[in-house]
Amino acid sequence: MFVAGIDMGIQTIKIVVLKDGAVAGRAKAHSGFEPTKAAEQALAEALKTAGATRADVALVFATGSGMEMAPDANGTVSMMGADAKAGVHLYPDARTIIDVGAEEARAVRCDERGIMMDFVVNERCAAGAGTFIEAMARALEVKLEDMGPLSLKAERASPINASCVIFGESDVVTLIHRQESKPEIARAVFDAMADRVSSMVHRLGVNPQVVLVGGVAKDVGFVESLKRKLGTNVLIPEYPEYAGALGAALIAQGKAKGAKPQ
Amino acid sequence: MKPQTVEKKYMPEMPPKEVEELNTTIKEASLKIIADNIARMKKTSPNRPEAMQYYDEISNFFGKRAEEIQEEKKKGKKVIGYFCMFAPIELILAADAIPVRVSSGWYDTSKLGDRIVPVEICPVIRSTIGAKMIGLSPFMEMSDALISTLTCDGMTKLSEIMSDTMQVMTMSPPRVKDSKQSLHLWNEEIKAIKTQIEQLTGNKITPKKLRAAIETMQKATKAFRRLQDLRKGSPVIMGRDAMLVNQTSTWDNIQRWTEKTEALCDELEKRKAQKQWACPPETPRVVVTGTPMFWPDNWKMPTLIEEATPQGVLVADEMCSSDRLLYDPVGIDEWTMDDMINAIAERYLMASTCPCFTSKDGNEDRINWLITKIKEYKADGVIYYVVRGCMLYAMEYSRVKKVLDKLNIPVYYLDTEYTREDVGQMKTRVEAFLEMLTARVEY
Repeated sequence: MFVAGIDMGIQTIKIVVLKDGAVAGRAKAHSGFEPTKAAEQALAEALKTAGATRADVALVFATGSGMEMAPDANGTVSMMGADAKAGVHLYPDARTIIDVGAEEARAVRCDERGIMMDFVVNERCAAGAGTFIEAMARALEVKLEDMGPLSLKAERASPINASCVIFGESDVVTLIHRQESKPEIARAVFDAMADRVSSMVHRLGVNPQVVLVGGVAKDVGFVESLKRKLGTNVLIPEYPEYAGALGAALIAQGKAKGAKPQ
Repeated sequence: MKPQTVEKKYMPEMPPKEVEELNTTIKEASLKIIADNIARMKKTSPNRPEAMQYYDEISNFFGKRAEEIQEEKKKGKKVIGYFCMFAPIELILAADAIPVRVSSGWYDTSKLGDRIVPVEICPVIRSTIGAKMIGLSPFMEMSDALISTLTCDGMTKLSEIMSDTMQVMTMSPPRVKDSKQSLHLWNEEIKAIKTQIEQLTGNKITPKKLRAAIETMQKATKAFRRLQDLRKGSPVIMGRDAMLVNQTSTWDNIQRWTEKTEALCDELEKRKAQKQWACPPETPRVVVTGTPMFWPDNWKMPTLIEEATPQGVLVADEMCSSDRLLYDPVGIDEWTMDDMINAIAERYLMASTCPCFTSKDGNEDRINWLITKIKEYKADGVIYYVVRGCMLYAMEYSRVKKVLDKLNIPVYYLDTEYTREDVGQMKTRVEAFLEMLTARVEY
């Protein structure tokens, strides 16, 4: 049996196709101006990898901030609900799932069934999310993918305040004028973000195991800073950016099997 | 008589043309929002109680009720506006005056308030200032004086700002309720406001008149409690409808409101007997606590809850704009003037769960009341609602959260502004919260 999960993210759409409970296909697309169309194409691509057609798919569930624009979804699930489901599926002992995406960071506390028990979302501001790294990389004239490795070279931390992307940028400029080295500034950026995210997690209580998902989980600089701030290990799955889509697909699978929907 | 020119402390001079244009635009927008809110409430509740029609009509700030008050004014009656629910309604009624609450729920006027106070200030305050700047609220404009209770910092300075344009009578509540000197101070405040109301209206508050006013309000409380009790079981009325009923009591003719609310309860009791529910009985039951929400614009929170997928139902709240309003009666032992004044003072001070209070146990009364509500109304979860700048409610959150965590009651903190722009973001959060409650209910 095939099911699919669509994560209609703000920047990127992610698709996961499951065949009898195992991942059989993945695909990604830029959300752009026509997210529905982009999602359709990505779904077709993931189905092709899985060796299935649209007609083979029993159920499609959507999540993500644009979930209402998902093509022909049979149901929706919140981003937090999808994260919890995927986190516990990937790591059965996971109780805290942190998801850092382009514009939003969230943390979910869940139980052993992958049902969310509590959640926090960053306060209507992108300072704890991926966009912040992008803006800071621009200010530093560094490629986005180089920010992480660069920050690991820092010998010490210089504090900046990630209360807001715009103010953060002016903080970075101040550091540049003070002639701080690029690695140290890069580390300051990740520390500031990790500060924001870890204070969110602390509001829920840090319940091990902690899993980090979302596109930003691929950034080694952020991961190092977050581990330091949380004082605990952070598990990262192989495809962290697909966690939301995976969670939605798992919920579709549960529903298709006749289990109670989450 | 020559108009007095008093130098304004805060209010800016605005060209009359600008005032008129803003007034027209915002009033038109507001009428649309009122109609839209009602249409959406009807849509959510296809078999909405017929008795709701009355409240829909009264909910129009620019309609029938404003005209009625205007007529009464022509006959010489005075109108007294107020912000916080510490204003002793019984004394206003006993002086043959009309009480109207004038705290603003208009989003658009908060931007006008920004001209005088910074955006960090609570939007209820900014919006009320803005409404005054363009004379938007018929009730405020008809008020001969305002009673302003100095509860939070915002309300304290709002009184000063308002006094630029009209007579403001302040009342200063103590910050600690349970000491001898506090009750003494508050008693003196009640007596002082009584004298001021008498001076304003030219009517003496006699024991006979005061008794009649207290009895009027006791009847209103009875109807009010009957409605809230009906919300304890499977939903016979949506939360938004109940909120509107509760809130209209602050500007309607209270005797008529009482009759209409008794009639609404009769209808709801029939529905209950026929098991005719307003929404499926298994719908997650939500209690809201925090900053007051004022009609018409600031209806977004209850709207989001009751229009969400999965849907929730607002079964009760702990807000001074709704379920707290008429809940507590004035308790009288003997109908002497002293006793009545003491009883009024006690009712307005001791029963309040406003976060402006503290004690050696903190604001214990609010916590206890919230827990009672959660249990009595079998709530599945609590939404803690705060507008940015509402410091006292924001600061009490961690304590409330700790208590609710122990009881295993999910609580979600949602802060917002007087704006429509964050509705999408709020929706995501409210829906995730309701999804969580549904999952908890189902498993």
